[in-house]
Amino acid sequence: MTSQTYTFRIQRNMPGQVGTVQSHWQEYKVEAEPNTTILTLLETIKGGQDGTLTFRQSCRSAICGSCAINIGGRTRLACKTHVGAVAKDGVVEISPQKNQPVLRDLAIDIRPFFSRVHGIKPYLQDGPERAGKVTSTAYDQVNHVTQCIMCGCCYSECTMAEVNPKFIGPAALAKAFRFVSDPREGLKTERLQDLASPNGIWSCTRCTLCVDVCPKEVAPMEAIVKLRTRGLNKGINTSAGAKHALAFHTDIKQTGQLNEFTLMMRTLGIVGSLMETGMAIHLAKKGKIPSPFPHSVTGVDELRRMYESLERSPIDVETKAKEAVPE
Amino acid sequence: MTLEYAYYPGCAAKQIQREADWAARAVCQELGIGLLAMPRASCCGAVSLRETKPAFALAVAARILSEAEAMGKDLVTICNTCLQTLTHANYRLSNEPELLEKINAVLAESGVRPYGGTIKVRHLLWVVTDLVDSRTLKAKITHPLKGLRVAAFLGCHSIRPEEIFNHASNTNEGPHLERLIQLMGGVAVDYVGKDRCCGFHVMLSDKHEVHTMAAKNCLSAKDAGAQVMITPCTLCDMIMGSVQPIAEKTVQRTINLPEMNFAQLLGLTMGISKERLGISRLHIDPVPVLSSIGLA
Ligand code: SF4
Ligand code: SF4
Ligand code: FES
Repeated sequence: MTSQTYTFRIQRNMPGQVGTVQSHWQEYKVEAEPNTTILTLLETIKGGQDGTLTFRQSCRSAICGSCAINIGGRTRLACKTHVGAVAKDGVVEISPQKNQPVLRDLAIDIRPFFSRVHGIKPYLQDGPERAGKVTSTAYDQVNHVTQCIMCGCCYSECTMAEVNPKFIGPAALAKAFRFVSDPREGLKTERLQDLASPNGIWSCTRCTLCVDVCPKEVAPMEAIVKLRTRGLNKGINTSAGAKHALAFHTDIKQTGQLNEFTLMMRTLGIVGSLMETGMAIHLAKKGKIPSPFPHSVTGVDELRRMYESLERSPIDVETKAKEAVPE
Repeated sequence: MTLEYAYYPGCAAKQIQREADWAARAVCQELGIGLLAMPRASCCGAVSLRETKPAFALAVAARILSEAEAMGKDLVTICNTCLQTLTHANYRLSNEPELLEKINAVLAESGVRPYGGTIKVRHLLWVVTDLVDSRTLKAKITHPLKGLRVAAFLGCHSIRPEEIFNHASNTNEGPHLERLIQLMGGVAVDYVGKDRCCGFHVMLSDKHEVHTMAAKNCLSAKDAGAQVMITPCTLCDMIMGSVQPIAEKTVQRTINLPEMNFAQLLGLTMGISKERLGISRLHIDPVPVLSSIGLA
């Protein structure tokens, strides 16, 4: 492979008066082959051009999670990202992780992220739901999420964390799922109840960004989907999000179509729906209030039979993790 | 080559966002794309059904795919969430033979034709940009956008997860929506937020957050110089349209960025009438901007 010159456009951040940072962009030129990692090149810059450039790193092997930064518009591990894969016309734009306070240059304060993780009680608890026997498939689900290296890439991209800093966030929820699905955990239901509180599992927008940015294929949103299923199966269904989700199978069984009129009523109740009038007025102005009586699709009885068949004899369709093989 | 598809507009296009369905049909008529009705097709269930009744969700999707298969046609939709839901189910059913067998047993027992796993699920946007001959398309664009600055709002559920959409949407040529804007003679505005979330799926539970999301994305597009925004999704349409005026109050800034479905703007460039495309049903009137380039 031939080397070429890349321009690194790096956001420099300096702490100003309490709680403020001063930002500007600075450019550096580096010579590199396309498969050189971004981390190597940041070190080249720090070593040869500008010793004041601040960033975090440790393992250089995509294991410690410290080098997660925003590279070319996505949060990635600098040690796992090749410059050729992210440069646009030879330029690589680099800034700190989003949704977290910036300390200096590319280093962020990771504490808000970890306080969410600690908030879900990341340890096994004794209690009545602790399984006495552990089967060979019992860790299928646990294995799904234990790959997480707590790098924060997902939290940095999370569209809900961006507008609601109280949202527990993808990594902490994936971690919570790890404990909910561990056979040795004694307080599964209590956990599910806590997780269904405001700013918890039902606040995830399902934008799927965390699935795509995670460098370890943890797929946090899939864990959140499963937490919702587990919670609903235990009858934890009072939140607006849960009521909204529950409307779907009722409608599909009845007419085959989603009834957007009653969907609103069921999710929010009468009072809530009236409070929603902000939007309702805008829709009504354009003649867009849906009919409370959508037509049934042809063969709706088939849907009902499918539903009843699965209620009688449920089948497990959950995705399973590959068996963990020790390295 | 005649293009004919089993047409799955989705619940929103049948109720609140009917104009997207009208525009899709009008555009397809011009381009000679056949959209065949699926009378048996139910709601896809979205991610919600996957959460409440995961097995039923797969069975519902399989039943929809099976109807298309019986018609001998691939399925085409105009809703990103339907696209993701059906693609996700199709991906699993085609890659997990045991799962397909179990789901098909439920279908058969309920009097439904089992699914053979042979159907492709596509967005109408992909058909227009990838499968319609670009000369044919260009010839139909009689009223080009003359450099109009258009923000493409891609919508989460037609681009993620990459694992299931890789083949379809991550081509080196860039997102379909931006390519279409260029084909129509417009300029695709680059802005932060184009691949982020409209918030539709938490619209009723996290209202305030959804307003902030809508405002952020629209303002970012507007600040980058966008004169109009288009999306390939009836649900994004609903938020960026009907929520935008409310979001303006939340962030205390005027946004006033006309938003419409991609098929509506495409229809206008083809000289299809505003009435047929339901332009009057839009929440932010695009006529002032469009008339400046002789489009409305
Ligand atoms: S899918 Fe949910 S948790 Fe993941 S990034 Fe989007 S909002 Fe955040
Ligand atoms: S889930 Fe993935 S992206 Fe998120 S912290 Fe863990 S390893 Fe990083
Ligand atoms: S340096 Fe440890 S993950 Fe990159």
